[in-house]
Amino acid sequence: MAAEHDTPGRSTDGAPAAAQTPAPAQSQEQPPEQPPEQPPAQPPVLAHGHAGPRKPSRPMPEPPPAAVMGLLNYLTATSLDEDYAHVSKQRAAAGVRPKKSPGTVGLVVLAVFGVLVATAAVQTSRNADESASSRASLVKQVNDRKAELRAKRARAAGLTAEVAALEDSNLDATTQGRAVRSRLDRLGVIGGGVPVKGPGIRVVVDDAPGATQDKQQVLDQDLQKLVNSLWLVGAEAISINGQRVTNLTAIREGGSAITVNFVSMRRPYTVSAIGNKNQMAAKLLDTEGGRTWLTLRASFGLKFDVTSEDSMTLPAARPFSLRYARQPERLR
Amino acid sequence: MIAAVGLLIGVLLGLVLQPEVPIWLEPYLPIAVVAALDAVFGALRAFLDGIFDDKVFVVSFVSNVLIAAVIVYLGDKLGVGGQLSTGVIVVLGIRIFSNVAAIRRHIFHA
Repeated sequence: MAAEHDTPGRSTDGAPAAAQTPAPAQSQEQPPEQPPEQPPAQPPVLAHGHAGPRKPSRPMPEPPPAAVMGLLNYLTATSLDEDYAHVSKQRAAAGVRPKKSPGTVGLVVLAVFGVLVATAAVQTSRNADESASSRASLVKQVNDRKAELRAKRARAAGLTAEVAALEDSNLDATTQGRAVRSRLDRLGVIGGGVPVKGPGIRVVVDDAPGATQDKQQVLDQDLQKLVNSLWLVGAEAISINGQRVTNLTAIREGGSAITVNFVSMRRPYTVSAIGNKNQMAAKLLDTEGGRTWLTLRASFGLKFDVTSEDSMTLPAARPFSLRYARQPERLR
Repeated sequence: MIAAVGLLIGVLLGLVLQPEVPIWLEPYLPIAVVAALDAVFGALRAFLDGIFDDKVFVVSFVSNVLIAAVIVYLGDKLGVGGQLSTGVIVVLGIRIFSNVAAIRRHIFHA
């Protein structure tokens, strides 16, 4: 019964029990027969000690502020370390006068802070310097190497020209040499080792405008057929978009582009063939490849234009060396 | 006054000596500085509130610096160093801002 007398008195006052006298507590509190009428803001400690019947709707103990405030609000509210308030409260309780200014320890700590800040700043600027200088040195290296490459290329070109000139002068010196040289030239024209010039026809082929399907596009096999037909009607040298077609040339689909000599081509494809410019065009349309192309042009709208040229120059193929193929016996 | 003197001495020392930071400590230095900044602003606010205490300042300074560095170190080891540094910076930044706001109210009464 005594606990029930005490409990409502405490919770209404909010003051320590020692500070209140029994008489006003008696006058303030409700009749002891009605403990459920207690105010809801009862401290949890007392709730545990209370032996009376519990109401089902009794509120939960108040959760800590950190749990209800939300992180940002809590951070803002407790931005000052609580220890300061705690220590000052303790000190006030003990009756010690608070120190007004930071002492030697504070000075030392602030000096440490200053060192930290200065060190961080110095370090950051030093790192920036380092990265900038390393970038500058990289750029310089790249430029140096580029200049070196240019010089070496120029030297290689000069040496090649010199070799050709020496070859010429050597071969021209003797009759046998001149014979070898004309043979070399002929082989070069046939094999694609030297540029060639002469009359011929130019065939320009391209995808149909706005092509969506495979059939409306130029495929590697279409180009192959065209080139084969050109050989068939007597072409002596052929190039596709500046790539000389030799006996080592492959025309094939590489990814989404057609490659010739392993170099990717772009539309439109210009096939130049040196030969009899008056006959080749007509003969071409008579071959199977020519007929295929006529069908492609008529049915799918591909571009297929044949023109005669009085003089064309086809480039040399890139020099290549044979590593395995040998003559069975030396030619005399 | 004594605080400003201490700060000045520290900055001058750092600039004059230019101590070499070991490479393994380098990632933690900036975050340690931010943590220290938080402790210093907290101390300034406490000073203006009249509840400054040497011991609390020292303890909060050292623990702030150490904890910030340890959190980043731990994050590095776990592979979330960048994210954890961001988290630490955000929390410390909010605290610094609200402390500075309180300091401003003290000084300008606004």
